[in-house]
Amino acid sequence: MAMPVVDADLLAKELYSLLGPKRVSIGDTDRDTYARDMWPRMLLARRAGQPEKHRPTAIVWPEDVSEVVAIVKLALRLRVPIIPYGGGSGVCGGVVPLYGGITIDTKRMQALRSVHNDELICDVEAGLGGERFERELARRGFTFGHFPSSIYCSTVGGWLATRAAGQLSTKYGKVEDRVAGLTVVTGRGEVIETDGPNRALRGPNWTQLIVGSEGTLGIITSARLRVAPAPQITIYRGYEVDNVNDGIAAIRRVLQRGLRPAVIRLYDELDTLINSFSHKTEDDNVREDQRVHELHRHAPQPTRATGALPTWPTPPPAPDGVLDRLRLFAKNRVGNLRKDAMLSGLGHAATFNRLADAVSSKVTKRGCRLIIGLEGSRIRTEVEAALTFAELEAAGARDMGEQPGLSWLSHRYAVSYRMSPMFRDGAFVDTMEVASRWDNLPELYQAVRTAISRHAVVMAHFSHAYADGCSIYFTFAATAPADNLPAAERLYDAIWQDGLAAATRVGGTISHHHGVGLLKAAHMANEHREAMAIYRATKASLDPAGIMNPGKMGLEAHIADASIPVRSQTPTDAPARFPLDEAKP
Amino acid sequence: MSEKLYAQLIATVGADFVSPIADTSGNFAAALASDFYRVVPRTPAEVAEVMTLCARHRVPVHPEGSGRRPSPHSRDRDRVFVSTRRLDQIVQLDETSLLVHAQAGVTGTRLQEILAPRHLTLGDYPPAVLAPSLGGIIAVRTPGKSSARHGFFEDAVVGVSAVLADGRTVHTRVAPRRATGPDLLRALCGSEGTIGFITSAVVRIHRQPEARFASAYVVPSIEAAIAAVYLALREEAAPSGIRIYDLAETAAHFRGMPIVDQVAGKSKNGALMVVGTAGPTDLAACDRDLVASAVSAEGGETADDDAATLWWRRLHHGESTPAAPPTFQAMATPRKLAATYHAVLNAASAAGGAARAHISRFDADGAVAFFSVEREGKPLPADATAPHDVALIELCKRAATDAGGWLPGSRAARLDPYFAALRANLDPLGIMNPGALPE
Repeated sequence: MAMPVVDADLLAKELYSLLGPKRVSIGDTDRDTYARDMWPRMLLARRAGQPEKHRPTAIVWPEDVSEVVAIVKLALRLRVPIIPYGGGSGVCGGVVPLYGGITIDTKRMQALRSVHNDELICDVEAGLGGERFERELARRGFTFGHFPSSIYCSTVGGWLATRAAGQLSTKYGKVEDRVAGLTVVTGRGEVIETDGPNRALRGPNWTQLIVGSEGTLGIITSARLRVAPAPQITIYRGYEVDNVNDGIAAIRRVLQRGLRPAVIRLYDELDTLINSFSHKTEDDNVREDQRVHELHRHAPQPTRATGALPTWPTPPPAPDGVLDRLRLFAKNRVGNLRKDAMLSGLGHAATFNRLADAVSSKVTKRGCRLIIGLEGSRIRTEVEAALTFAELEAAGARDMGEQPGLSWLSHRYAVSYRMSPMFRDGAFVDTMEVASRWDNLPELYQAVRTAISRHAVVMAHFSHAYADGCSIYFTFAATAPADNLPAAERLYDAIWQDGLAAATRVGGTISHHHGVGLLKAAHMANEHREAMAIYRATKASLDPAGIMNPGKMGLEAHIADASIPVRSQTPTDAPARFPLDEAKP
Repeated sequence: MSEKLYAQLIATVGADFVSPIADTSGNFAAALASDFYRVVPRTPAEVAEVMTLCARHRVPVHPEGSGRRPSPHSRDRDRVFVSTRRLDQIVQLDETSLLVHAQAGVTGTRLQEILAPRHLTLGDYPPAVLAPSLGGIIAVRTPGKSSARHGFFEDAVVGVSAVLADGRTVHTRVAPRRATGPDLLRALCGSEGTIGFITSAVVRIHRQPEARFASAYVVPSIEAAIAAVYLALREEAAPSGIRIYDLAETAAHFRGMPIVDQVAGKSKNGALMVVGTAGPTDLAACDRDLVASAVSAEGGETADDDAATLWWRRLHHGESTPAAPPTFQAMATPRKLAATYHAVLNAASAAGGAARAHISRFDADGAVAFFSVEREGKPLPADATAPHDVALIELCKRAATDAGGWLPGSRAARLDPYFAALRANLDPLGIMNPGALPE
């Protein structure tokens, strides 16, 4: 498709007049930085030294909704794309500026404006980082209950734009379950607010039509979110079940009895085997804590004392003395051996998967690890914990005590920080999160696992459980030498193509909480089929000119010419809050 | 209606299921003279064909559930009312995933009857919420389709099948949650047949609770009762039902029972609070105790269970109540609830009347207050016609909205242009339930 050609200098001049020079950039460093997110396919290209293919024409940092309105109106006038940008932690390429344009970084809109104690609602700007958001709430005695592994590098707006999930979603829900209203600058350059006691309002639920739209309908600038009282207690436990199907049945029993643990995670045999290397006895765990602390010293490491919130570790001391140097030398040697073994295994993925199956199920007979945690008000949580543990035991799960649960709690942010070494060592790793109802969950697991295992070493855990179904989180890794990018990309694409096709074939969804972006855009038609007509109509309603994040989500990329009228609304014409604005019969 | 369309509709659904609304004699000449028709398709495919025909002939289509009547529409255009009456099949009952896929014409009540022998339920929704057809429950938003234990009914809908204006059928895919763009079924829920004609829906269901408890409390005031409710909810209690009666309402509903004197004896502004809890026995008991503790913290005390048991029987087992149906209802957020209540009572009193209320359907967003407005000791019906009665009711309604309450049917005017554009994109001929929602 043809997109309007933008004169970068002219655009910059116009943007300077709106924001001043300090909050506008057309510099190469910024344009490179904002050309991508954490999509592993783009990390492969980055590692191979490829220049960014798609860069924004300009990056802007507005500080309030009126500035966002002005920028969108400018984009409408010049017919240039707008790409909203939060923390840049997405893993699907949702912020890639396929056709250039203006990338709007929301992080200067980062106020937690208010917390209404009596209604358990907070009003927060979209650019606030997840960790700061939780800390601010914790200081006031609340929690949002949303703890994605990206909490240190993602924003509230990013969560809402992608329908994100936190690790404690089984109790608190996904982000879409906790949003009461949004302030959005639409593709028409107007501000809308979707609040109101929704179930008393007639018409469609606009909040849920905008949440998850990944910037294709408008830019979320602030939100009213439901908070919960900070938990009074947390209870964690580990269990072991014979196999994946037994574990699925056990989780289903718990959820369908009306019990809501904060987290419940079932690891398949391979994931359990790998986890078991780091979750043994209490003493093992202390040693493991030290090892992880050293290996992943940049990863946040929460402790039981700090509850759900992670804490930054203090850096370990520099090597000092002969013994320390010897230890470092030995560690590097072991590290190299481990790297060689890893690459060898990943290079023969199908064989490795079969071998791992045999080792985990027939040799070690470890079964599958199940982690469960509950938190909340003291009295109810204790009652619920007792019922939950009894239900698991009735389902045949074996209690392994508190330690596995606490160990998961303390290491739960570390996984994302293990990816860089894999890329550095000539491999890549990525994750695929699918979901389905319970009745075909085992089939979904087998289908996707089989599809991926032809190409990569694959393991999975089941998390984000609901009364009607569950998500499966596949982690896969393969070798991808940096000197052959086309081969690496072919392999990467084949994994996703086969994995997502398998998910759709057996009735699963292609994404539970990572979103779509570019990665899954081609699969949207298969995911939604005829219902894409509703998405297109919603897009035409909110963004008739097609300037909002074009080329994403399986929508056609087409920016309309200037004959599409833009209704007048000055930046100062911000709307009154919604409740003052309703029409009543 | 054109002879051609009439013949095509008959060919689609059969002669027995196309009838002029004003004349049920089946007379062909009379049918052609009429401009309102009722068509009763048997299958979603027939619905799609009817929609296609109506689009071709540019005839408006109005969905008709269990309660819809065509009277509000002007007779200046031919209109086809498509009844969901024969869309009455349970497509699938998935007891593994606790989902039921039912066609739009099945009423919630009927669905409950089908689920009950299997120890399943749609949830602790008031029977009035479940009385309409499933399509109607989903397509029309009214306040209070919620339960503190099971949430909002529309959130229990995980998939719908619907026919668009051009006859295309869409099936939103079923998953417990997804991150694949907007939740597209939310365009169909609540849009009153203007976006698509809902033919079936997949809805979450629940296992019937192991235990149920009903408790009653006497509380010093409406404010204290509301505060106790939200204190308990903050402590994560999940009651299956809560209702607060003011003193006058207590007297109207529990005439002759000792509870009336107990409430009056508590304070002149005293209130009765009845609470039902359900679930695994320990958890249901825990929820009951959390509510009792919250009530105690707000100065209330546990009362005899008789009133609570009677309330539950009336609510879920059809036992009659001596009180007349309320005059109107208003929804308010937790912060505005007490103010809305007092505003209505004060307005009625200032105008020479009186009002009383009970408040129920509590959830995180607020609750619904059901007001009975009285003149000279007689409650006014919702459809009162005497001018001075109408004026009094309108005064009370205005007082409610001025205090921050919401009347059923409120809409987001600022979003009207977007909704109009959405409709225009999917229904360029404007045949989908014209007159419903803003056009």
